[in-house]
Amino acid sequence: MPFVNWLKRRLVVIAGLLTLGYLLLPNVIVTVFSFNKPKGRFNYEWQQFSLDAWKQPCGVADMCGSLSISLQIAIWATIGATVLGTMIAFALVRYRFRARGAINSLIFLPMAMPEVVMAASLLTLFLNMGAQLGFMTILIAHIMFCLSFVVTAVKARVMSMDPRLEEAARDLYAGPVQTFLRVTLPIAAPGIAAGALLSFALSFDDFIITNFNAGSTVTFPMFVWGSAQRGTPVQINVIGTAMFLVAVLITLSSMVISNRRNKQKA
Amino acid sequence: MTTPDNSGDVRLSGISKTYDNGFTAVQPLDLTVPQGSFFALLGASGCGKTTTLRMIAGLEDPTTGAVHLGDQEVTHLPPYKRPVNTVFQSYALFPHLDIFENVAFGLRRRGIKSVKKQVEDMLDLVQLGEQARKKPHQLSGGQQQRVAVARALINHPKVLLLDEPLGALDLKLRRQMQLELKRIQTEVGITFVHVTHDQEEAMTMADTVAVMNAGRVEQLGSPTDLYENPDTTFVANFLGTSNLIEAEVDTKNGDDIVLKAGGGKLVLPEARCSAPTKAGGKVLVGIRPEKISLTHADDAGDIPEGRNRLTGKIADASFIGVSTQYVIDSPVCDELAVYVQNVERDGRLVPGADVVLHWSPAHTFGLDAAQSLLAGTVGSAGTEEEAAA
Repeated sequence: MPFVNWLKRRLVVIAGLLTLGYLLLPNVIVTVFSFNKPKGRFNYEWQQFSLDAWKQPCGVADMCGSLSISLQIAIWATIGATVLGTMIAFALVRYRFRARGAINSLIFLPMAMPEVVMAASLLTLFLNMGAQLGFMTILIAHIMFCLSFVVTAVKARVMSMDPRLEEAARDLYAGPVQTFLRVTLPIAAPGIAAGALLSFALSFDDFIITNFNAGSTVTFPMFVWGSAQRGTPVQINVIGTAMFLVAVLITLSSMVISNRRNKQKA
Repeated sequence: MTTPDNSGDVRLSGISKTYDNGFTAVQPLDLTVPQGSFFALLGASGCGKTTTLRMIAGLEDPTTGAVHLGDQEVTHLPPYKRPVNTVFQSYALFPHLDIFENVAFGLRRRGIKSVKKQVEDMLDLVQLGEQARKKPHQLSGGQQQRVAVARALINHPKVLLLDEPLGALDLKLRRQMQLELKRIQTEVGITFVHVTHDQEEAMTMADTVAVMNAGRVEQLGSPTDLYENPDTTFVANFLGTSNLIEAEVDTKNGDDIVLKAGGGKLVLPEARCSAPTKAGGKVLVGIRPEKISLTHADDAGDIPEGRNRLTGKIADASFIGVSTQYVIDSPVCDELAVYVQNVERDGRLVPGADVVLHWSPAHTFGLDAAQSLLAGTVGSAGTEEEAAA
């Protein structure tokens, strides 16, 4: 049974490739259909190849406006959540204070709670406070739910860090600021970066919480949702493909840079 | 420098450390480490030796007392303002920096721009010139240890502190690094304060050893002095092995004390007894296992006069190459250890044989009988208590 043996030896590889295909197929479809020229308003059936949408990515009314709002919110939410979350993570690992245990578990709550519940309760809170729904309320909500992810990512990194490293830095003439900048921060950086990337991704494509608290502001996911009712412009696929490509490029370049760095050092 | 002779002195006066949880790691302590010496703080884990070192480094605030380096008081200076550098246990090399940058760290923090020459010289001194661009995790344990030493030494500290620097190395490498560190210390002439729980390491490397127990210095002296003349049962047992025999003071004979132990008599030079010696009082007689000779009971008549003697029966014998270690059951003491060099082996000395143990009275030391016989031995009450703390 040579075929069975061949299969046995490659089972892991085949299973891996199939899983990868399962993960990437939706992205392939999005990319392929960004080159479609649909009949009518819905881009669900392949008609013919066209570069029209790529030539005019902002050709649909309001779409690029919503994209810009989403990007701004994602950037600010990432900055806010990363700074606050990193400080919380350091506080939780480094200091012993009252209610530390409780805070440790409460931090997980936003991750575990159904988004709809959070969305609705946030809306209630904003309305009771008489807040004007819009950019700021979305941003506050996003920072809130991104925080727990940053705290989790950074905490893991800080916990595994040898406190002697900072003592060694202080012993070697580094004051508190220098110690933080030269030793603590670089060592915690992978955790902080992971938290920041997660925050950006979560904020950029959040729909439920945003939809509840947006008022008249329209973010990109809300725009896609809204247009899906009336017809899907090809430009949505263009933006989706572009986002995917940017993510792939960032990942690849960081891999190349770290590889090259390791080779140089070795 | 106006006072070059003592600028590397470390003076601890009345220094103590009590933690927030009420545990006192170091009892008020006075200690002077002279400039240029290799000083070891020796003790079991939890005895306060590392805390003492950290107070010199500035990583721990003393509860009472003062730390002086030469004539300068540094008690309340932060670590980065003290002319002192530390080689940490497990080295604490910066994982995100390569070897070159690790070694250059201290120089750069002091604002020195051209570090290349100095770092390269220092890496050559510890024979790591080739590894400059590697990351710490790419080096072996022994190499990492040398980087840690280089990273500290490049700053020309007045005092180099070493916190169990060889603990993570295997035995052979440890021996090699002991000699290496001793060589470096002689070469650079900096004061070294070395913390260790390994008595052999302390004795090999240090000029002066302070034996610590439960936050106190039990005894301070040169390795030979501590080994030959222990003041307490803790030191006697912690440094090597000691046979301790309970005896009663009988009479004094010139400079010697005559003691009764079991049925026999033992002679102890008065100068070597740290305990009060009243007639009828109790004293612990100490003798190191390698100072005792073994003679088969049949040849007892050949033993010269004037030696201390005990009779016994061999309970166990283990051959370990250079010597044979015997355990002897004796009426005065259950388990006497005797190490005999394997020069001429007497075939009759096997378990069960009746023997006479004898040694020169000059090798006998006397200790206060009011202490625990077992202090400083492995698993004794004293060490357990410290480990728990």
